[in-house]
Amino acid sequence: MISRPLPVATRTFLPIFGVASILVAWQFLLPAAGVPAYIVPTPTAVARVFGKSGSLLLGNFWPTAIEALAGFFIGNLAAVALAVVFVHSRALQAAYFPVVLFFNTIPILALSPIIILIFGLGMTPKIVIAAIICFFPTLVNMIRGLDSASSNEHELFHILSATRWETFWRLRFPRSLPMLFASLRIASATAVIGAIVGEWIGSDKGLGALIIQATFNYQSDRLYAAIVLSSALSIILFTLVAFFERKLVRY
Amino acid sequence: MSGVHSTPLAIEARKLEIGYRGEHTDVTVLTGLDLEVETGQFVCILGPSGCGKSTLLRVVADLLVPLSGQISVLGETPHAIRGRRDVGFVFQDAALLPWRTVRENIRLPLAVGRHSLTREVADKTDELLAMMGLSAFADRHPHQLSGGQRQRVAIARALLGEPRVLLMDEPFGALDEITRDRLNDELLNLWRRTRTTILFVTHSIAEAVYLGERVVVLAANPGRLVADIDIRPVKDHGNRCLREDPAIIAKMAELRQALERAS
Repeated sequence: MISRPLPVATRTFLPIFGVASILVAWQFLLPAAGVPAYIVPTPTAVARVFGKSGSLLLGNFWPTAIEALAGFFIGNLAAVALAVVFVHSRALQAAYFPVVLFFNTIPILALSPIIILIFGLGMTPKIVIAAIICFFPTLVNMIRGLDSASSNEHELFHILSATRWETFWRLRFPRSLPMLFASLRIASATAVIGAIVGEWIGSDKGLGALIIQATFNYQSDRLYAAIVLSSALSIILFTLVAFFERKLVRY
Repeated sequence: MSGVHSTPLAIEARKLEIGYRGEHTDVTVLTGLDLEVETGQFVCILGPSGCGKSTLLRVVADLLVPLSGQISVLGETPHAIRGRRDVGFVFQDAALLPWRTVRENIRLPLAVGRHSLTREVADKTDELLAMMGLSAFADRHPHQLSGGQRQRVAIARALLGEPRVLLMDEPFGALDEITRDRLNDELLNLWRRTRTTILFVTHSIAEAVYLGERVVVLAANPGRLVADIDIRPVKDHGNRCLREDPAIIAKMAELRQALERAS
């Protein structure tokens, strides 16, 4: 049997109900079950932190946002550029793709101290870590995307005597956009992870630093608030990516 | 050219060997082909899978270099003629670019490559849209079209540069029979008006006889020409016929026999 789609009103209401039911359960059931507030503070306690220490949270939100955004742009741009080089030179791809692949197998957590040793304690190492974490998925997806035009499409461009440049801009690049955006969606979350991981290892600013400090001081309501903000940052980035995807990929 | 003909032949092949160069040995797909196609002729190339009929079109379109032998298109090599937009190609899968609208797809030949197509040609888009019954769909994207409509767009795109030779590689092979019949009639009307030389590859005997003035039959293993049958005697001057005409059905039987003898 084919299930009918839910009515629109129900479809809007159900997710709100889902979230609300979990928040209510969290608010009342967890304390009732004896989970102490220093492990899981109630949603209202977390909300109160936003009112009480709003400026502290915001002051730590911006550095992370800037690092994640800068890392997102640099990492993805570098990946796209390298993918363009690789699809136009099979020799370079054969020579250097394994190197990139090996580099990708190094856990980012193991790499981060080295990056901080190189770039110091400012924003730069966090941007670098966020960029590296975005880089590989976009590189792989972009190579596949740029190669995804069918042989008939390439033959059509050959018959029309299109130059390499024209074939790139009018065929390969537009063909790659769906795959590029698939990896940008992933990168919108991982860039934030990269920035926060960087801040954990060496920083006194940013949501990552705030998470570490709050954990050591048992300020779990502040810790949760920082987590909520990090996730909000990812959601904002994701929404931006989805917005441009809808504008640019109309098929 | 030989000078015997008043107009150069649209296509002339001599001892043509077509295949793919391998590391050690070449794989021959079509062997010893001699073929002359007069300007303005509608020729169908009929044969089973693997007979090299599509490969032949690819050689004419300069997508593949023959292993040996001569081929000329409008008196020149395929390579020399390619840049001039004198040869149009229609693929079986339409090969439309999904991010371009119908109008933009038809205008692709203006957007790429060095060409001498003028503003007038660009203004012909609306005419082509009307001719192919696509005016209402000009601003749609390919995924919003039916299979038959997509193939009409592909034909319009191939016609934009007013090519003197139109190569069609099983263009209606993936369509349902009703749509295919209708597009066959539209293509014949188009050919009567433009008298473009058409090389039409198909594996349907009925389609070959209905469309062609002449049917070239190829056999597989190895790919070779086994029959070259004139259909004009059973058609009127406009290359018109009825599908049920006994003379047409007799021609179909003749083609089927030629194919069976060869296999």
